Amino acid sequence: MKHSFYTYITAILLAASAAGCQQKVWQPAASQEQDNVPVDSTLIADPETEALIAPYRTQVTSKMSEVIGTATTELTKAPHQSPLGNFVADLLLEQTRKIMDQPVDMGQVTNGGLRVPLPAGPITVGHIFELMPFENETVVLTLDGPTTKELFDFAAKTGISPIANATYTVKDGEATDIKIGGQPLDLNRTYTIVTSDYLASGGDNMAMFKKALKTEKVGMMMRDMILKHIKELTAAGKPITASTSERVSGVK
Amino acid sequence: MRRRDFLRYSAVGAAGLTLVGFPFSSEAASKSIKLTILHTNDQHSRIDPFPNDGRKYAGMGGMARRASLIEKIRRQEENVLLFDAGDIWQGTPYFNFFNGELEYKLMSDMKYDAATLGNHDFDLGLEGLEKQLPVAGFDFVSANYDFSKTILKDKFKPYKVFEKEGLRIGVFGLGIQLEGLVGKKQFGETIYLDPVAKAREMVAELRENQKCHMVICLSHLGYSYQTDKIDDRKLAQQVSGIDLIIGGHTHTFMDEPEVLRHESGHETLINQVGYAGINLGRLDFEFNKKTKEKTSIKTAALPVDNPVLTS
Repeated sequence: MKHSFYTYITAILLAASAAGCQQKVWQPAASQEQDNVPVDSTLIADPETEALIAPYRTQVTSKMSEVIGTATTELTKAPHQSPLGNFVADLLLEQTRKIMDQPVDMGQVTNGGLRVPLPAGPITVGHIFELMPFENETVVLTLDGPTTKELFDFAAKTGISPIANATYTVKDGEATDIKIGGQPLDLNRTYTIVTSDYLASGGDNMAMFKKALKTEKVGMMMRDMILKHIKELTAAGKPITASTSERVSGVK
Repeated sequence: MRRRDFLRYSAVGAAGLTLVGFPFSSEAASKSIKLTILHTNDQHSRIDPFPNDGRKYAGMGGMARRASLIEKIRRQEENVLLFDAGDIWQGTPYFNFFNGELEYKLMSDMKYDAATLGNHDFDLGLEGLEKQLPVAGFDFVSANYDFSKTILKDKFKPYKVFEKEGLRIGVFGLGIQLEGLVGKKQFGETIYLDPVAKAREMVAELRENQKCHMVICLSHLGYSYQTDKIDDRKLAQQVSGIDLIIGGHTHTFMDEPEVLRHESGHETLINQVGYAGINLGRLDFEFNKKTKEKTSIKTAALPVDNPVLTS
């Protein structure tokens, strides 16, 4: 009889497993716990893992620890306008103007691309790598008037897009009183703007950049431009500071 | 850290369980299988802890520390699965100088079981990924990127099934829309497919054909957006049958997983642990070995101390 008992059990199991997608041999039981664990200094670094990292770290450290300048105060980022946003957008424009033959009207970055603030004190190559870890090229875009207006509306609406050499007022989620190089925006002319290839290709939802009439590579990575700029400041005996001029008005 | 039963917070979570008629007893408890899920997301090449310079999260993280934590948990727990939800790359000079090699090497050393691709994992282009894939001793799962027209054709699986003491766990991956987020130069001819449709396909495959008892989604879609853009919360509400979404992209620090209930009654947990390896996500599940009558109600999320069970 034992035999038939097992046959019976097997039949039940087969029937059950054939019965449907939710069939469970193992039923989830009553316990479920969660405990996200902070990885902090109470944990001792695994020696084997440390040994794997060590040779890489040595190389990185020697390259990264070089001090290239000094920031008088921390350069932070914030919506619309901020010390960090102004600093990078401004230097992008300044450095690009030195490289390009043609006039460049504006410089532009997005807050999302500026990964960390720059601390007060000595600034190292490593800080700049953390600020700008991406392998982004700088490009100069030529935009028609309406597309330029779109850019300012985007900046006004999202607050993520610092723009050098321009001012505007945010009103009802749009940009008004737009001035480029102190002159009111002229919808009938074109403007040039230096930005990253990432943003130029529509990154960070900057779709209007895809309507650029012309795209030219500056021929320098954005990070290298930042490094170059800071080294030049230091060589001229100047600290790293950001322009604090009021560029965006009407932000609540 | 105090361990906690997070599902105490979910009164809704208990409601569907009465339909199952779950027989919880000491006998059942003794015949349980424990499954420990560990996870990270958005590691962003953070090999070393954040420097102790007063910044936010100063002194936190560090892959060698994480390795010892994982090792300790592996010594304590029988069934451990370790996952990552994407954006392994980009964020420190280690990535710039070594092109992601060290990140993959260390994750392999920690015995990651699977990862999915984040947008920044495309930063070195498809060529960059192709170059480092041999270093990764773990699989990438990706169900909604079609690489068939690229050099990465056949390099990724849509899902992977793990078996622990007979318990079958299906894990699939979902990635975010690349257009606008990743340069066209980087993602090339990779085609982004609808995550909702793909997730439904994966659930059907894993539950019906692969006979999985648990379905996990590694998602780099992001936790929650105000817009119509697909996110983990919308995914849980639009697709029935995912037990756990391990999320990423939005760098969201969740104190406890969120439980979302699909109209079918199926409950999905969502967990995400910030970024940079500041936290290691940990979820412990217990499964009962008893054979059950089939039911369309999913019962993955059950608290021990829930009044519904004891009444």
